[in-house]
Amino acid sequence: MSPLQKWISIAKDIIAIYRNEFKVVFSDRGVVIIFIIASLVYPALYCGLYRNETLVNTPIAVVDNSATAQSRKLLRQIDATPDVAIAMHCTSMDEAQKAFDSRKVHGIVNIPADFDKKLQKNEQATVSIYCDMSSFLYYRALLQACNYSVLDMGKEIQVQRLNAQGITGESAEAVLEPVPFQGIGLYNGGMGFASFLMPAILMLIIHQTLFFGISMLAGTSREENRFHVLVSSKLHRGGTLRVILAKAACYLTMYLIFSYYILVLVPQLFNLPHIGLSVDIFKMLIPFLLATIFFSMTVSVFFPNRETGMILFLFFSLILLFLSGISWPQSNINGFWKVFSWMFPAIHGIQAYIKINTMGGTLHTIRYEYLNLWIQTGIYLMTTVIVYRWQIRKSSDKKSILNETSMLK
Amino acid sequence: MLTRIFSAIRNTLSREFRRMVSRPIYLIGIVLVMVFCFVFFLTFFNEGQPNKMPIAIVDKDNSALSRQFARNLNCTQQADIVMNVATHTEARQEMQKGNIYAFVEIDKGFAREVLSNRRPTLKFYVNNGYLIAGSLLLKDISYMSALTSGAVQRQVLRAKGVEENRIMGIIQPIVLDTHQVGNPWANYGIYLLNVLLPGVLQLMILLMTVFAIGVEFKERTAHNWLENAGNSVFAAVTGKLLPYTIIFTLMGIISNILLYRLMQYPMNSSIWWMFLTTFLYVLAYQAVGVLFIGITPVLRDAVTLTAFYGLLGFTFAGFTFPIEQLPSMSRIFSDLFPIRHYFNIYVNQALHGTAVQLSVISFVALLAFNILPLFVYHRLKNAAILQNYPVN
Repeated sequence: MSPLQKWISIAKDIIAIYRNEFKVVFSDRGVVIIFIIASLVYPALYCGLYRNETLVNTPIAVVDNSATAQSRKLLRQIDATPDVAIAMHCTSMDEAQKAFDSRKVHGIVNIPADFDKKLQKNEQATVSIYCDMSSFLYYRALLQACNYSVLDMGKEIQVQRLNAQGITGESAEAVLEPVPFQGIGLYNGGMGFASFLMPAILMLIIHQTLFFGISMLAGTSREENRFHVLVSSKLHRGGTLRVILAKAACYLTMYLIFSYYILVLVPQLFNLPHIGLSVDIFKMLIPFLLATIFFSMTVSVFFPNRETGMILFLFFSLILLFLSGISWPQSNINGFWKVFSWMFPAIHGIQAYIKINTMGGTLHTIRYEYLNLWIQTGIYLMTTVIVYRWQIRKSSDKKSILNETSMLK
Repeated sequence: MLTRIFSAIRNTLSREFRRMVSRPIYLIGIVLVMVFCFVFFLTFFNEGQPNKMPIAIVDKDNSALSRQFARNLNCTQQADIVMNVATHTEARQEMQKGNIYAFVEIDKGFAREVLSNRRPTLKFYVNNGYLIAGSLLLKDISYMSALTSGAVQRQVLRAKGVEENRIMGIIQPIVLDTHQVGNPWANYGIYLLNVLLPGVLQLMILLMTVFAIGVEFKERTAHNWLENAGNSVFAAVTGKLLPYTIIFTLMGIISNILLYRLMQYPMNSSIWWMFLTTFLYVLAYQAVGVLFIGITPVLRDAVTLTAFYGLLGFTFAGFTFPIEQLPSMSRIFSDLFPIRHYFNIYVNQALHGTAVQLSVISFVALLAFNILPLFVYHRLKNAAILQNYPVN
């Protein structure tokens, strides 16, 4: 065989296995549900559920012991913020606490009786708030609304008091705010919940559906004990690599298409941040998908049954989400878990996607993740070859033992 | 009659014990996953809040005042200045790379303008793409800026001869006194683990219930399972699931003890209420599991369905994003998840420490899930007798 012919035959093998793998995938309802239905439905479902982004008009109770023009004005301001709405005016803290305990309201604002008196006497007045900590979004809503309103009213009082001291005009301004400060939130201006969480979930969906789909395929072939047919007889030697590459190419083709929907269309449709270039996303996707595919192929060999992967590793989606550093910052993940997280393509993938898609980074920005994804691709390709060879040898041993025993009979 | 059922349950039990030791999936799914999660989550959030997050400073002024500000900022709980960069662009790029979560920009001539009352603006940028890091740093740096502003104010007012006892009334006329009920440290561990650990538990209960029954259909042993239980579906299901009820309840109680005793998370009533809730929670999820495998006695479909439902539980518990602020249709669904009721009881009993009467409705709801298996009683029986469902 000339080298050219050899290459042609290799290419033919790969194309044949590639096409066959599509047939395998599409003839298995379970795999179709995971690969296609799940990747279609999950992104839309979660984006739909979280589409409200922030809390609006969280119900709170107020206790106005002062009952003066000034205290009513403060309450009106709090009520006027988008975050909270006064749902109850209570006469006592007991009454307010009852409403809080039965969770009709998620916060209490208590204005003490001496509020106005203290303001009149040029002293510091206090306003107490009680936040429902069962969800930190309640806490943020009430704190934000009250902070803003108190500062706003405080400014007016400051001016009056300075005027009373004979400090007016320009110099009053200067005293009022000698160093004005401005905090600017980048990449998620509205501090939206979906804008922050969904990009990570989208990448996780790709990672997890690939993993569960591939483990289901491997589990099935193991159940039916047809690992030996992975490599047809004519390409016995060196054929493993061909099989692995052809299968990987099949999953890669499918997921490049799905990824366009999940990572490009969904953020546009649901108004998530999408300031990165799609080209950069796809450049990053190639090593991400390959690493995930080879990782899944390696691990999947150890699953004896179709369902094993999903039963034992469904919970891992949650672990990966936390390891990714999207909520709990990566800088604060302790050493052991950080090293542990390097095993999973999802971690670098999520970070890379967020840096491009949410923060408008380029391939240069994600150099670290990009390099790591290629390293993972290389390592997991090798491990896949090793475990596939091992599996094939094991099943052909079994077959030869079977042959021997049948011959003995 | 009763003795017959008891002996049928006993037979099923011993049959199930033999099955449970026959494959590693049982040990891993019932015990090891939970143990892993205990270790993971309890060590992951041990700081309570992310402290000392990396930030940068763009100090173009490089004056005594700007350096003082940087030193003060570095002493706050959340911020750690890890780099001094020369330009805004450079700082932004570091932020995009994820090396820093915020940066402060101090313009040239800052100190001079402060001293000559020209009110220079102090600008800082936080990365809200990482919402937790972003909002904590926003709070932290705002606080430090306000203090800096306050210090200057105090000096100016003193210079202008304002009496000392009036100064604070001018700097800050109204003080906000914030009470974070039940979690005064705003500890993320308390906030998240109280739902995440039961959340993983429900995933495993659902999946293992579906697996334990489904594998009988898949491997065509369902007939034998039913026969062994004297052809009583009740005895067959009860005997089969009893070991899981006990072990999962135990895992749940260990989780409660770890949270409320070892970690000293808030427990404002008796811990026994949470033990009881955990037990009812396990039963409720087993009932849902039976319902799913009854609806589709094909193991792989039931597993997929269960996975879908189980993952949605984290959303419908309503602890990250409150239920009443989700789109209106989805609010109704939340009641179909036992984890929602668990969450309600936890907030009432552990976090807020309210009277138990307020949780009665949630207890009743958890109990009500146990009706679900009745709907699939006949389906399960027929499936077990006929074994007519596809294996794969």
